[in-house]
Amino acid sequence: MLSSLIPLQLPSRMQTHLWYILPNEVNNKSLLKHYTQLLSQHEKDSISGMQSDELNKKNALLARTLVRTTLARYHTNNNDNTVVDPRALKFKKNLYGKPEVDWEVDDTTTNHPKLQFNISHTDSLIACGVTLNAPVGIDVEDKTRKMRHDVLSLAKRFYSSEEVKFLSSVEDTESQRKEFIKLWTLKEAYVKALGKGFSASPFNTFSIIRSDAETYNLCDQAGEWKFRLLELAASSHYAAICIEGEDGQEAMNVIVHKTIPFVEDELISI
Amino acid sequence: MNHGSSRVHGTREQLTSLSATSLSCKAPSARSIGTSQAKPETVQKVSDIVREQLALSADTALTAESKFSALGADSLDPVEIVMALEEKFDISVEESDAQNITTIQETADLIEDLVQKKPAAQAS
Repeated sequence: MLSSLIPLQLPSRMQTHLWYILPNEVNNKSLLKHYTQLLSQHEKDSISGMQSDELNKKNALLARTLVRTTLARYHTNNNDNTVVDPRALKFKKNLYGKPEVDWEVDDTTTNHPKLQFNISHTDSLIACGVTLNAPVGIDVEDKTRKMRHDVLSLAKRFYSSEEVKFLSSVEDTESQRKEFIKLWTLKEAYVKALGKGFSASPFNTFSIIRSDAETYNLCDQAGEWKFRLLELAASSHYAAICIEGEDGQEAMNVIVHKTIPFVEDELISI
Repeated sequence: MNHGSSRVHGTREQLTSLSATSLSCKAPSARSIGTSQAKPETVQKVSDIVREQLALSADTALTAESKFSALGADSLDPVEIVMALEEKFDISVEESDAQNITTIQETADLIEDLVQKKPAAQAS
């Protein structure tokens, strides 16, 4: 018997809630069937129509489940404070194709926090970042991911000259590979937070610089974009988060949970 | 912000309006990448590179409609695929296009578009 979804407190301003699933921990067939029942018809058709193996289909199912159940948990029914039905959520895309929640303006039976979200996945980890009123972008990568091309060639081709300069200064090949991936996730997170597609901000048009061990910033930025880079799942993955802050705001605060929807949440200290 | 890519977008728009008038039976493509369907041999060459980049087994079926995300690609795979294709076809892909490819067909269309734009002496 599955537990019902537990309501969640909203993120505060300048706070990101990061939720992730490890697909290889979710194999129970009846649980996966339950997840399938939460999806819209369009989502179900999209997954069954995927020209893909079963693992990829499972991951697509888990991604949609993570988004629906997580967002639903921040959204309660006014009469009894129960979590709204994840199936009731509607989604749309902005002008540039970024997915957003489509809140129904006339519905007075539920509360309507203006949540924003972004998802990212690899074969081995699916993540969803949630904020209140702040544009957010996230990207995750397997830390051990090897590139088929030389890392500096890739950087020279796609990154800014400042970033190439930084990567060239990293002497150890393995450290250089890791720094390349860290920068990749940060740059992806920024463009996804902007929400205008990659054409609006080609990677070689902006630089992300590390100012100390944990702080990354956008060079010459208009606006207040905040970045965090984390290591998730026993340091197997890098996760970058970017949100748009307000002038004078402090750094971003992040709360991380590993989750299996309807089964358990685990608060992760970072 | 660098708007250097607008020159190429202008060229693409001209090509799109030309094909819209000369090919009245073909509906305009919703995507701006590539203005016509690529030849089967280009699709095959792209598929081979995709198969190698994503380390797919020989029995994973690939069609022109195959989406990279359905094949387990992460966000880095499209740019690596583009670099491999640039080397193979001796072309140069716009940065913004490199990250916007999502299927084998889109990639093949983009490649063929760029190969056709090369000076006649180099194209083969």
